[in-house]
Amino acid sequence: MQRFNFPVVQPDPALEELRSELQAFLKEEREAGNYRPEPECWMASADPEFSKKMGKRGWIGLTWSSQYGGHDKSALERYIVTEETLRSGAPVGAHWIADRQHAPMLLAHGTEEQKLDILPRIAAGECYFAIGLSEPGAGSDLANVKTRAEKVADGWKINGQKIWSSGAHISHYMVALLRTSPADGRNRHVGLSQIMIDLSLPGVTIKPIVDLSGDAHFNEVYFEDVIVPDDCLLGEEGGGWAQVTGELAMERSGPERFLSSYITLETALWQLSDKMGSDSHARLGKLIANLSTLKGMSWGIANLLSQGVSPETEAALVKDLGNRLENDLTQQVRAMLNDLPAEDWSPDMRRIMNIGVLRSPPNTLRGGTTEVMRGITARQLGLR
Amino acid sequence: MINTEGMVAETATKIYTDLCAREVPHEAEAGKYPQALWDALTENGLPLAWVSEANGGFGADYDETFGAIWASAQAASPVPFAETLIANWMLDRAGLAPADGSASFALSGHTPSADIPFGMHADKIVLFDEAHHEISLFDNRAAVRSPEESLSPDGMTQFIFSGHVVEQSAKTDISRRAIEALILTVRAVQMAAAMETALNLSIDYVCQREQFGRPLSKFQAIQQQLAVAASECAAATMAATQAASAIARHADDPEQAWHEAVIAKVQIGHSVEAVTEPFHQVHGAMGYTQEYDLHHYTRRLWAWRDALGNEFHWSKRLGEELALTSPDQIWKGVTTGDWTGGKVVAS
Repeated sequence: MQRFNFPVVQPDPALEELRSELQAFLKEEREAGNYRPEPECWMASADPEFSKKMGKRGWIGLTWSSQYGGHDKSALERYIVTEETLRSGAPVGAHWIADRQHAPMLLAHGTEEQKLDILPRIAAGECYFAIGLSEPGAGSDLANVKTRAEKVADGWKINGQKIWSSGAHISHYMVALLRTSPADGRNRHVGLSQIMIDLSLPGVTIKPIVDLSGDAHFNEVYFEDVIVPDDCLLGEEGGGWAQVTGELAMERSGPERFLSSYITLETALWQLSDKMGSDSHARLGKLIANLSTLKGMSWGIANLLSQGVSPETEAALVKDLGNRLENDLTQQVRAMLNDLPAEDWSPDMRRIMNIGVLRSPPNTLRGGTTEVMRGITARQLGLR
Repeated sequence: MINTEGMVAETATKIYTDLCAREVPHEAEAGKYPQALWDALTENGLPLAWVSEANGGFGADYDETFGAIWASAQAASPVPFAETLIANWMLDRAGLAPADGSASFALSGHTPSADIPFGMHADKIVLFDEAHHEISLFDNRAAVRSPEESLSPDGMTQFIFSGHVVEQSAKTDISRRAIEALILTVRAVQMAAAMETALNLSIDYVCQREQFGRPLSKFQAIQQQLAVAASECAAATMAATQAASAIARHADDPEQAWHEAVIAKVQIGHSVEAVTEPFHQVHGAMGYTQEYDLHHYTRRLWAWRDALGNEFHWSKRLGEELALTSPDQIWKGVTTGDWTGGKVVAS
């Protein structure tokens, strides 16, 4: 018996036409100066205008039905879009989270009205969501959330604070994990619910947090007696924990876990061309072997997910390996660039490398820290 | 995942389960060769799996034969099963009859000699002579065999080609890269299987062994080490499976699977340190002993890592080739597994 389930799935030639279309579009946009490629683009590089263009082309909302503005395509086609936009470092940060995470959540738990209202706007690249999991006292210790929602006539009253909410300042909604009833003794997983909050409501305050790279995509979000209607409760009251862990499994195995810094390598490859020495060749060979292997693992999970199987441990493995590779990639490329005198680096190379270094710390944090991922694996191994 | 279903894989698994219990590799190392195990493999025709039917074999699928190799590595096979499969495959590719008995292989290099895995046990040696596009069969028993230092319990001998009578020889149109692809893939499968078995041993051990009043498995430091090792094992299995699947896909032209095979060699070779170190660490002194099983796997991993060139050699070779293609082609390879469009093919 083999311990983990990573089916090998051959690439589908039918998907390659979509890949070519994307490549042509991204090249054109980049060459027209409509964006400057960046590492970690899906987190830190948001441009609503670009999102709307992606929406017009039908590259957001691929997987849901046209009834809700989607395109009735497969999760694998979505995977191609994800890969290509990451590879080119495109400014996809505005719509990324809504497309990946909240649209499927609304499809599963939203009311018909919400689906008809919100999903077409997400697909058009005009409606953005922020994640509301972390709190100042609860990062990886997610069950420790304190922000609460209290049942009031016709809705819920919300008080508390969320933190590290990427893109909240440009988002229309947040889906927050909230305490709707006290923990049952020591079981902190009960009494948590997911509630969708319109961020334009009175009582919501959003404050940017400037990160060490000078970007301000993170936010603190405060809720003071914010009232949302009943139907903003997503899924079951008290079922928030199970919903959140299911959602995290999906978000942990995607290409953004190992391709966020690929643009750094690709930019360096164009720069180095025939100037690479044997040390750099060895580094390149190893990086590409690691990337190919992770792509196989992630693609295998994508295929399982498209069949309705959600392998939590395999997803944790991909995230752990992928995050290590992302950071290693930046370090290896730094070393490879020694083959080129610093004065020969293009301004873009310098910019992308610097951004890559500055944005590397969150790789092993967001979506669950490395230590939490290893805890999930250890449990699967029977050690906990 | 490696395909462990199908007649070849299942037959091999059964033979290894029945005839290669945990004491067998220990006894083999002490000098008691497990003839019954080898005989059972031969009686079932398994070493002929990759020989075409026209040539007296049974042209089995590559895919399930990799499952048989997986089973042999998990059992720490002290007989040259994988080596014979490769040697017979080489003979078949030159239209020669399969070896009578067990066999090992050599690729011609810059010297008139080669290091032969399982050299003390193999009946025959099959040589690929790249310069003459020739495959030749030698009688290993008749040769003077000098043991070489080897990390592996399977041992290695040096074979000097000159002065030996070729038993059979024929031209082949197969390339060195095709042979490299197959050998590297077989080794990758063996290594992934050995890693997983060593992981399982480690998990069992830390669940049983108590220190400071509780099982080792309950210490977070131990859990984190084994979780990292498990992720490396999972990656190794994926890399080996991708290579095996590429060989199966390009059955007529294994050269086309070269990139996947090298990727597996590089990926897994670099993982060896990342797994053997924690495995030995969590086993404490016990893992350092002859009487315990762990070394059957870690010593083979260390030997296979170096075989045919170590991970640094192959990382560099892969990188050199990739550097000559365009970044667009590299991306195509990573995303679609299509490495053939680059402008460089031969080495």
